[in-house]
Amino acid sequence: MTTSQTMSLGEATTGFSARLRAALGRRTEWRAIILLVLVVVGALIFAPTVFTAYQVTLGFVALIGLIALGLTAVILMGELDLSVASTLAVSGVVMAMVPNIFLGVTLALLTGLVIGAVNAFFVVKVGINSFIATLGMLFALRGLAFVLSDAEPVPLTDIEAGISFGMPLIGPITPRIVLFVLVFIALHVFVTRVRAGREFYAVGGNRQAAYDAGIPVSRRLFTGFMISGFVAALAGVINTLELIAADPTAGSTALLASFAAAIIGGVALTGGRGSIVGTLLGALSLGILGVGLTLAGVQVDIQQIFIGSVLFIAVITDPASLRAAAGSVVTFLQSRKSQTAV
Amino acid sequence: MTETATPRETPTRQAPSETGPSQRRAALLQWIAERGIFVFTALLIVFAAIFVDGFASTVNITDVFHRAAPIGIVAVGMTFVVISGNYLDLSVVAQVATSAVIFIGVSNLYGIPLAVGLAVLVALLYGAVNGVAVGYFKANAVIVTLATTYVGLGLLRWLSGGSIFFGPPDGPIRAMGQIRIGPLPLSMIVLIVMALVLAFVLNRTTFGFMVRCVGSNKEATRLAGVSTPRVVLGAFVITALAAMIAGFVLAAFSNTAVSTMSSGFEFRALAAIIIGGTSVFGGRGSILRTLLGVVFVSVLTNILVLSNISFGWQQIAIGALIAAAVSVDALARRAAQ
Repeated sequence: MTTSQTMSLGEATTGFSARLRAALGRRTEWRAIILLVLVVVGALIFAPTVFTAYQVTLGFVALIGLIALGLTAVILMGELDLSVASTLAVSGVVMAMVPNIFLGVTLALLTGLVIGAVNAFFVVKVGINSFIATLGMLFALRGLAFVLSDAEPVPLTDIEAGISFGMPLIGPITPRIVLFVLVFIALHVFVTRVRAGREFYAVGGNRQAAYDAGIPVSRRLFTGFMISGFVAALAGVINTLELIAADPTAGSTALLASFAAAIIGGVALTGGRGSIVGTLLGALSLGILGVGLTLAGVQVDIQQIFIGSVLFIAVITDPASLRAAAGSVVTFLQSRKSQTAV
Repeated sequence: MTETATPRETPTRQAPSETGPSQRRAALLQWIAERGIFVFTALLIVFAAIFVDGFASTVNITDVFHRAAPIGIVAVGMTFVVISGNYLDLSVVAQVATSAVIFIGVSNLYGIPLAVGLAVLVALLYGAVNGVAVGYFKANAVIVTLATTYVGLGLLRWLSGGSIFFGPPDGPIRAMGQIRIGPLPLSMIVLIVMALVLAFVLNRTTFGFMVRCVGSNKEATRLAGVSTPRVVLGAFVITALAAMIAGFVLAAFSNTAVSTMSSGFEFRALAAIIIGGTSVFGGRGSILRTLLGVVFVSVLTNILVLSNISFGWQQIAIGALIAAAVSVDALARRAAQ
């Protein structure tokens, strides 16, 4: 948008500053950067231990960031996957139920892929809005996790594998952080460098145009939901390994934070805009916020208020939302003016 | 409580001239989407009465009424949000619990009038925050109400300390919960009155007409000179007031209130609305349908409980029913085009 405006104004588009401005105007991560700066400054003042205890902070960032990365793939196409919460729980339980650890991990990841495919089936083939389809899955899968686990945490059979998984590899780097970084790089390369991933933006930006341009929209949607399901299952596997047990009610605050991370990272819910880097920035700021609040001794209820508020602010400060609200104000002022004129 | 048909839908209902298997399938799907709930609810009740031990007893029916009433009150209110095309209001969970805790906790300290006044203020605040964000900021209703749920429940647990509030054993709230007219507890009477009032609002007032218009074609409604954000705001305020009344009823029934007492309400209310045949695409639905959906979901849950089927399976069954109902709606819509 900025590019076309600069061109129409007749300014030099070849100059360095113009190109810089155009490049910056295209970015969508502004809100994540603002939040990150606020959170870092806040943490430096109120809870500087966040940075000395960076091992904890990194672990928490990886926890909420991983699910957010998978979600981003779906949101880029203008859909949403609310079922990631329950996918995490179900795949964790599946993994803990299988005695052999390798078979367990494989089955858990497969569960994630199947759940993603079922979500995509409802959205693509049946034509249900993804908000409702995945909300139904959220509740049904939570029930499935309860049924499979008999409503109790399932202990992992291979405890040693779990303990060795929680150990740092080099310095503070645990396998969880390594996996998070790998997923980040893979998804970033996928949506910026691979053709199928680039087409996610087209599907989200204008679905009809994407059809007309010959993009296999259904297949892209299936890919997106399966990525989201797979990554949620991976998060479930990591949680199970680190806790040495699978909890059918697995953590809800972290999941709310993952939605907030993706949305504040500039990923527009209407699709077609956003980036994996933005989600990473969102996850970083929410991770620091979460750990900072914990270390500052803030109780869990108030943390929930904070993260819920961030999600609320994130969703209403979306540029499209701000434009809509501004439009309402303008209409209101105009109607006032015309009334006084009469 | 007549069936709500919106102007836009009339032409699409007319069957094209040629007939074939796909035509018959479309007709069947449309029949299920429109009339299915009436037949299925009747069949379910007959099935339960014949085959399920202990279903057709006065004690059990009263129990079903007690459990159905608060969810039904939430559902008839939330029908407005669904018909206006904004999916649902997840934050009813927080709203019902907050209202119940205020009703018992505050009236213990300052008396009932002040408690009711405070509850009304909180309900209006919920309705305003959700409605302004979804209406004026055009933000997604699922995400907005997910955020307000967490903020609301966090505030409630923080301020109430997560503790259970008991009303005095001989107080007026306790007496209210005991009122019974024939087999009907007061909560069912409240539900019936709410349903009649809201059906009148939806079918016979300009505001109700606007809600249906916004749900079926928002852009056309806006071009006709209607402030669509204000209509959406109104739908959320109605939902919030209904959730507040559901909180009163829930608190009066057990004479206790705690922040977790309404968990699962959003899911069951949505299930009732959707299974009743109100379209999640907006514009089509009725209060009568929601009431039938409440009956269906409550009777089904009761059958599952009487048959010793665990909570997990109940959750799966209702989730699958939601998926089936939405699929029928979506496929019927597609077949009609």
